[in-house]
Amino acid sequence: MAGTTAVDATLPAERSDPREFLALLDQLSANEFGIGFVYSALELLARQYHLDDALVVLGDESLGTQAFRLDRKPVSGDTQSGVVATPGVICVPDAVPEVVKDVVTSVCQLALSLHVARHGGAHDRLTNIANRRYFDTALRTAAMQSARYGWKFTLVLADVNGYANTARQGRASVSDELVRNFALTLRQSVRSGDTATRIGADGFGVILWNAERAEVSAFTERLASLPLPDGQHVSLTIGTASAPRDSTDPDELFRLATNRLADAKASAAS
Amino acid sequence: MISASEEDFELELRSLPGVLNVGIAHHDNGDVDSVTLFVRDQDPDAVRDVAMHVASLYYADATVTVEDARTAPLSSPRDAERVALVWTEFNEKDGVSEVHLSYDGRVGVGLSTHGPLIGGAEATLAALRELGFEIPCYLMAVANVHTATGWPVIVTLRSTEDGTNRIGIAQAEGELLSAAKATLDALNRYVAAATVP
Repeated sequence: MAGTTAVDATLPAERSDPREFLALLDQLSANEFGIGFVYSALELLARQYHLDDALVVLGDESLGTQAFRLDRKPVSGDTQSGVVATPGVICVPDAVPEVVKDVVTSVCQLALSLHVARHGGAHDRLTNIANRRYFDTALRTAAMQSARYGWKFTLVLADVNGYANTARQGRASVSDELVRNFALTLRQSVRSGDTATRIGADGFGVILWNAERAEVSAFTERLASLPLPDGQHVSLTIGTASAPRDSTDPDELFRLATNRLADAKASAAS
Repeated sequence: MISASEEDFELELRSLPGVLNVGIAHHDNGDVDSVTLFVRDQDPDAVRDVAMHVASLYYADATVTVEDARTAPLSSPRDAERVALVWTEFNEKDGVSEVHLSYDGRVGVGLSTHGPLIGGAEATLAALRELGFEIPCYLMAVANVHTATGWPVIVTLRSTEDGTNRIGIAQAEGELLSAAKATLDALNRYVAAATVP
């Protein structure tokens, strides 16, 4: 895709009125603000200005340069020149006023940044699974539902053995890789609706719905036996607490699971 | 409209090292059929392995293709020497925000008496100036926005050269840290490209 096609002189005047487009964009932003907004803005741009193709290049602190193409089409071959460009909008034909391109770039940038910030606030950066903050909220909600409706769930705390030693030896990239790979395996092991989170350097918290002794044992055994993406097996220490059987207080459930995990570590060491 | 799950799926793919673009094709029923990643400066096979694992978490049947952008090298701010946020502190007694930044082995300290939000942004700009950066912008607005998962801070700076706005957003532990990060985010591409005398 080249971004230098001449302006289509046959465009009706109202189609190139930026104010109309900006009003539509404003309506859109009231309903949707994330990566989806970027594509919606490109669709709106294409509809309004009868474009064959459109691409917006954005920059982000954590993601680096990112290109988004109309209809979520991949960038390749003929569109590479667009990716090389600095942040901005490239259209075919090039019929969009610069002021509109600038606004689209700014709001898309904001939408991407907001999505990244929102995701980053609830997810662990290394493993991309939910973080401690998300875990605390999920555990409180689960405990409340268990107290109110009697719904059963088990809190599973799992420590990856060997992480601390590896990190202490200064092999941070190895320990990070271990945790990242384990997190992928963990996410593949939980059912839809269960919650998998990273709550410490080598600690993971999982909320398993409708699971008690037998199901929990099956889950933890499966987790420990599954090979990581790099083919290794991981050694885990597990502590669990079930609601409503053990308690429906989130702090108590966490305390029980933590104590059981510590007991398991102590008995493994002795 | 894209589902929240699919948005997160795409964001996760975009956060893989070197990924510049994600193309997604759908089945007639709306499920993801195939994913094409455009990557640079990374081993495409390694990226494909991780991407396939990620894809399997969301859409078990989706195929993953990785295209190498080696023929179209980019100049990204991520490659340049960067300003790092070292330390922030807000003193509740006197309302002073303090921000420490480092760049190229040097530390710049900025202070402001205007609380953690506005003060955080002002202190960050002051620290950058102490590091020798000429920042042709002034602070337009600082606001925190309520979202489902917290209060991200949005900092708007206005260029003294052409009047355009630079917008940065960040969510971190506390208003001061968020304001400092959002200020750096707003200036990110400028600071990465700027040269210090």
